[in-house]
Amino acid sequence: MSDTPSQAQVKSILPKWVRGPQDFVGGIALMAIAVFALWASSDLQGMHGFSFGAGTAPRMFAVLLLLLGAAIALTGILNEGPPIAAYSWRGPFFVALSILFFALAIRPLGLVVSAFSSFLIAALGSHETKWLEAIIVGACLTLGCALLFPYVLGLPMPMFPRFLIQ
Amino acid sequence: MELFANLAHGFAVAFSPMNLLMCLIGALVGTLVGVLPGIGTIATVAMLLPITFGLPPVGALIMLAGIYYGAQYGGSTTSILVNIPGEATSVVTALDGFQMAKQGRAGPALAIAAIGSFFAGCVATVLIAVLGAPLTKLALAFGPAEYFSLMVLGLIFAVVLAKGSVLKAIAMIVFGLLLSMVGSDIETGASRMAFNIPELADGLGFATVAMGVFGFAEIIRNLDAGSEMNRDLVQQKITGLMPTRKDIADSTPAILRGTVLGSILGILPGGGAVIASFAAYTLEKKLAKNPSRFGRGAIEGVAAPESANNAAAQTSFIPLLTLGIPPNAVMALMVGAMTIHGIVPGPQVMQKQPDLVWGMIASMWIGNLMLIIINLPLVGIWVRLLRVPYRLMFPSIVIFCSIGIYSVNNAPVDVILAGVFGLVGYWLIKHDFEPAPLLLGMVLGPLMEENLRRALLISRGDWSVFISRPLSAVLLAIAGGLLLLAVLPALRAKRDEVFVESES
Amino acid sequence: MMSVRSLAGACLATVASLCVVAAPVSAQNYPTRTITMIVPFAAGGPTDVISRIVTANMAQTLGQSIVIENVVGAGGTTATTRAARAANDGYTLITGHMGTHAASVPLYPKLAYHPEKDFEPVALLAGTPILILARKDFPPKDLKEFVAYVKANAEKVNAAHAGVGSVSHASCELLNSILDVKPVGVPFNGTGPAMNALVAGQVDYMCDQIVNAVPQINAGTIKAYAIATPERNPSLPDVPTTAEAGLPAYQAQAWNAIFAPKGTPPSVIATLSAAATKALDDEAVRKRLLELGSVIPAPANRTPEALATLVRSEIAKWTPVLKPAT
Repeated sequence: MSDTPSQAQVKSILPKWVRGPQDFVGGIALMAIAVFALWASSDLQGMHGFSFGAGTAPRMFAVLLLLLGAAIALTGILNEGPPIAAYSWRGPFFVALSILFFALAIRPLGLVVSAFSSFLIAALGSHETKWLEAIIVGACLTLGCALLFPYVLGLPMPMFPRFLIQ
Repeated sequence: MELFANLAHGFAVAFSPMNLLMCLIGALVGTLVGVLPGIGTIATVAMLLPITFGLPPVGALIMLAGIYYGAQYGGSTTSILVNIPGEATSVVTALDGFQMAKQGRAGPALAIAAIGSFFAGCVATVLIAVLGAPLTKLALAFGPAEYFSLMVLGLIFAVVLAKGSVLKAIAMIVFGLLLSMVGSDIETGASRMAFNIPELADGLGFATVAMGVFGFAEIIRNLDAGSEMNRDLVQQKITGLMPTRKDIADSTPAILRGTVLGSILGILPGGGAVIASFAAYTLEKKLAKNPSRFGRGAIEGVAAPESANNAAAQTSFIPLLTLGIPPNAVMALMVGAMTIHGIVPGPQVMQKQPDLVWGMIASMWIGNLMLIIINLPLVGIWVRLLRVPYRLMFPSIVIFCSIGIYSVNNAPVDVILAGVFGLVGYWLIKHDFEPAPLLLGMVLGPLMEENLRRALLISRGDWSVFISRPLSAVLLAIAGGLLLLAVLPALRAKRDEVFVESES
Repeated sequence: MMSVRSLAGACLATVASLCVVAAPVSAQNYPTRTITMIVPFAAGGPTDVISRIVTANMAQTLGQSIVIENVVGAGGTTATTRAARAANDGYTLITGHMGTHAASVPLYPKLAYHPEKDFEPVALLAGTPILILARKDFPPKDLKEFVAYVKANAEKVNAAHAGVGSVSHASCELLNSILDVKPVGVPFNGTGPAMNALVAGQVDYMCDQIVNAVPQINAGTIKAYAIATPERNPSLPDVPTTAEAGLPAYQAQAWNAIFAPKGTPPSVIATLSAAATKALDDEAVRKRLLELGSVIPAPANRTPEALATLVRSEIAKWTPVLKPAT
């Protein structure tokens, strides 16, 4: 998905006639998504005879989204609207990193290691975090998850790193 | 009366200590599964299916049914407390439920959800017993054309429930529809926008997108500088645990209407329960004296959809019990459970397996009673959870969601995708786009496209089937009327805005 | 353009494959730990039920438990791809099926595995016969009339199936190619919705596995013209075989069989094959399989060699039928 522009950049880029930057940028982004979808579905078969092809519905919805995006962007030009809201980088970055780490670690490293590490990575996302407390709670949570998911609910998932088992 | 004899027989079966225990286990597991974000009913029933091998068939099915409707109770809990709908049916509950929680009224929201569910469950159970067989006709009267029209109506509901701009809500629905196109084409099997990723071959999972745009996005936004104040405020404001007399008075009509809508729509195979919860919400918003309260913590906005989805969860057993045809994925698993036990459900299952059918019907009522007894005291515990400092709460939610999403298909890619949708959701919030219409579009998209294509295949490309079939025409007419109602005030507002420039 | 798109895919696919690590092979004293049996379909379906009944008995013979893992998606090919890439130590097996190990070859041009090159055949389990079904008020009375009617009204009739790649889709295409007709195929999402449409009379005919159809036929909500096996089935004694009813060319069965990843030690295959064939001779197992309407293969047809032959002949059978469909 497209990069989220920061407030400062947008202010300098957007010309004065954009009166509702929030809507304007939102609409443009939706149009970009629609164009991307049109490209991604361009190899699919269209209508053949009276029946839909694989690509008919995706392209139909993509065109519709393109039009709606344009309309929203237009509202951003015509109507006074709120400015682009401020983004912070710390929360999104560490939460995303924590999720990514979990996804990559769960198979090779198992539930215990990945859950505990991800907890701490996510905790980096807030400046309120107190580390001793976070480590204790993270450990308890990991223990709880390790009992709850594989045993109580019977979900098949690795518990410990592979190299330890073999 | 044959009915009373049947019901008496059913209760005799259901009240055996073994079956009561099964029912209790089912209700407990269901509540747990519903509360844990990510882990859906389908996955749980599938996982627990093998465990039921060693049990007698009636007990096994009572337990599986308990998990199914137990999860409907539990599913509202995360919607209300942390804005994470675990099931498609509890997306709407999050709209007002979470707002109530923010205002310190999580207790009444959770309690009214449980009470509404209980009432709806009781009514729907009676309905199954009394009218199960005749209602079956409804399931058969719905062909592809009718389904398509119903889906159109469902999408209009999503427009109406939007609290902000109608244009943006429609854009979000279409975005959801577009996302639902990812996967395999139903007619040709061609891979659509899946980029050769095997995990995308069957499309984006509901849980993946819902966890992303609701759960992760909410967390990320709460970490924004300046939002600590709001959160602390929530924690201080927590007031009573139980609904006040006014809450009950406000909710009663909503619960009644939600139950009726849910009971009817639940019978329809595929998507019935989802549409039921949206329809119930929309109806309340339209009937309300002050619709602007909706989306800002109106208790009817929790009571109506929760009653509707629980009623629908119960009545969705009707096609299974009378036709032997499973109307949704969970029911298909139930059929699997029966098959494993050597019972192949069919149109004659009521006559051939009275123990099973009536035992299950009776157990539903008992199960609902157990669920309310379990859930009302839990309200206090859940609300206390809100007092956990956010700095500890949010990493925990991240972990629970990650494990939950991973467990659905054992696919790490799903977890990554949920993370991506978390960032998308954060961006949507920043641009004032609502995620609820997006999710509804995603759920209804495939149903709409498939039924449209089926209808056109059967009619050989004749589009007039949608208006020449009476049921379909009525549904489309309602959809058109609702759209007008939704758009007109917006247009009027626009016109006013032109005159009153300095509004905000 | 295509290459950029596949590059994007490759990037994400690499991320996923980072998680796959091979395990060392140890064939001695096999099995020493739990065996995982991948079932490429949802729990409760015919393949799942057959797998569970047979593996429960095999586990007793082998002295180790066998865990069933249902991996759903893309007509079973998601699971089969995973099994093909699993460690070939005999601890990950798959219950393959007519769709995953034969029909998938023509249906999915970009299939990430080949049924013959990436798997070792272990044992043929049981098959579920295919029936030719129609809505209850469909005019033809028997199979001969049905053939004549469908040929005469090829423009008007609708054939339902449970989605591309499903057994009902493949077997319906086979029937259509034998009859040399091209009716409009109406796709449904699974057997349940397709059966619902047939019961409601929204579509005219379909081909489906016996398990799903027996109760509906017995209740008279749909009718069956013939069963596509050489012999009649005990659960539907009144339904004639296709040979009896005048269409001997139509023979179809959704067979299920155990496969192991390529390179699994022969001694392991032999152990598993013996356990599977022993299970199929067990009285209790046979009784439950027959209740489902399944056909149990004769001992000579269960062996790895016989299964290899079956897979080859099935691929040859389905390829011309399903190729034009995509």
